Amino acid sequence: MSAKANLDVLNRQVAYSGEGISVKSLETEIQKERTIQDTKVDELKGLREKNIEIQGAMADELKKLRKFSDYLNGTATKGGFLAGVKEVLSYIPGLRGLALSQRSIEELLKAQYHLSARRVKEAAEYVDTLKQSEQDLYKEIDRINVKIVEMAKNEREALGYVLELKQLQEQLKAEEQAAEAGSVEQRDIQASADKVHAKLAEHSGNVQLYGSAEERYARLKDNTRKLAETIRALANDIQQYTTAASIKLDMASAQIQAIGRAADASVVMLEMKRSLDVMTESMNVTTQFVSDTQIFFRSNLDTLIKELDTFDETTTSVLEENLKKSREIEEARIQAAIDKAVKRQESAPLGAV
Amino acid sequence: MSIVALHTQALVLPEADTYLELLGRALQAARLSNAFPDRKQLQNSVDTLRDGLRLGVYGELYLDARAGLPNMASFTRVRTDHELAAAALARMGARDSLEARRDEAEVFARMAAKHAYYEKLQKLELAPVDHHRVLLRRHDPASGTAAFRIELTKLDASGVYLRLLIELTQVSSLWRRKVIDLDEDGETAAANEAFRGMVYRCADLDAETLFVRLHGIEGVHVERVARGVIGPALFSLPCQGQGVAVRRTMEAPDDVLGQAWHAWSLGAGAAETERPELLVAFATDSAAGDIREEKSNDPISPLLAARLGPQEGARYRALRERYPFKVFKDRKFVATPGLKGVVQAVCAGAGTKNIVYDLRLG
Repeated sequence: MSAKANLDVLNRQVAYSGEGISVKSLETEIQKERTIQDTKVDELKGLREKNIEIQGAMADELKKLRKFSDYLNGTATKGGFLAGVKEVLSYIPGLRGLALSQRSIEELLKAQYHLSARRVKEAAEYVDTLKQSEQDLYKEIDRINVKIVEMAKNEREALGYVLELKQLQEQLKAEEQAAEAGSVEQRDIQASADKVHAKLAEHSGNVQLYGSAEERYARLKDNTRKLAETIRALANDIQQYTTAASIKLDMASAQIQAIGRAADASVVMLEMKRSLDVMTESMNVTTQFVSDTQIFFRSNLDTLIKELDTFDETTTSVLEENLKKSREIEEARIQAAIDKAVKRQESAPLGAV
Repeated sequence: MSIVALHTQALVLPEADTYLELLGRALQAARLSNAFPDRKQLQNSVDTLRDGLRLGVYGELYLDARAGLPNMASFTRVRTDHELAAAALARMGARDSLEARRDEAEVFARMAAKHAYYEKLQKLELAPVDHHRVLLRRHDPASGTAAFRIELTKLDASGVYLRLLIELTQVSSLWRRKVIDLDEDGETAAANEAFRGMVYRCADLDAETLFVRLHGIEGVHVERVARGVIGPALFSLPCQGQGVAVRRTMEAPDDVLGQAWHAWSLGAGAAETERPELLVAFATDSAAGDIREEKSNDPISPLLAARLGPQEGARYRALRERYPFKVFKDRKFVATPGLKGVVQAVCAGAGTKNIVYDLRLG
């Protein structure tokens, strides 16, 4: 008969690391990791949408600045300088509908520059947020790696113990066959064999759980790494774009001021030209008037001189008639007065006139 | 670093820090009145630019190579940072947690630095690139007159930083074409677009030219035009670890001061590679009815009449007779010891007596 089976194996504490495992605890752990991933994915979606929005707005604003520059350089002018300026100014908020000369273009361009710079910075701010997320995910990968190693070790422990139990089971089986049927010894061996079986069932389950956990954690790690890489790529893209845009803005500030000033000067020139045009028009109209008047006078001078007679014939005859009647009335009045005087003299006493 | 774009000069650490420290101290030393742009705001912008460089938020400082002052990109940088600070801080979380992860990755150290930068910045009031406001001084509804003060702070396209103040009275009988609109309560006012645009465009004209220009507007009686101009700043900064190399204002103006500066750079200044040197000019220029004596005490900018030929001079005298006002120009300087002599020689040459404040090296 071989050596008696060592039942100490049954009482040995298997050195699993961590907090122990069950199907439920494994699911909970995996779910926790997935939640972290989902949160990051949601963040990423939000950031990507915000980034698309900012980059779109930024590209639009930078385009406006460039287009303005092109128009002033004369490289994109189809309908003449004025039409070009008007078209470009219509892009700038607050300027549409305003008369060309009302607002300073330098001031408007500076406001546009400020807006563009702010957009670039808004986008650039997300680079650090993304890099922080990336680091969080790599930290998570480290944690998952620890779990994977732990699961692998525990699986190895479980496997080792299962082998020991199997060996013990076989030994007990041999001892049982050698023992007298129904004897106390055989019953004792059977009791030990039952315990071995129970332990075997428990730790075989652990083998499966730890093995499964290791694989699931490994898959989770792959996904987390892919997410981290995606975030890193996005951060790099944003960084490249915003860096290029920042450089463009940094380098363009003096040009923008110069362009604005030049445009203001151009507008002043246009105003001056408009003013001169109005003046020229006024002069032309006046000259034309003078000229027309002169021709009119020359053509009509004789008539005009003729028409310069003070009274026409009718008026003269009326005047003569009036005068004749007036003289007649006056003579009658004189005659009446004389008659009255003569009469009084004739009736008065002698010596009292 | 030399010119990197049109009129744009870049400085990096440590010269950029030395420059900003000297500029900040020059602003303090200059004892600026309210004729100039707000000193405190400008100082805050200079200090913030310095913090930005020191904390690694920015790698370089952009200056206007003509005026030797921070350019529009630099002014705008700190202003847009100010606008975004609150949202950025909310996104970043607590600085302690960023500091705790400092060794984990470079991004956390950078974010902790940026957090400190934003935290300090958000409490400050910074210098504007442009700021335009109209203040009502008096309003007499009975006589239909309203007196206004127009204030414009502007980073001029020439690179200098200036404040323009215009005091004028508007007569209501002519308000059909008024340049300033009073609201219904008669307490607040706003310049109309055309007038605002005209003032903005003309801000770089000297006070007397602007006075004449504004006086021509129907219904407006101009009482005062005053300008306060900061700049140019002329500097010479030794570069550490680069032998005798120095950084200098690259496109200094070609006026008497600029010429004296160039001469100094090639002469005594050429040997000065140990100490940083800075000279900043602060000019005032007023045209008003209550100025007693017409005079320019500015060695760089004589009166307009002195710059005109005989024919233009006669026409200008006739124009001035229509507008009773006088002009006074002045300029003071802040200079480090090495450049004080340059300023004094320029003033002596022009026959002006100007204040030159000492700028002590740290």
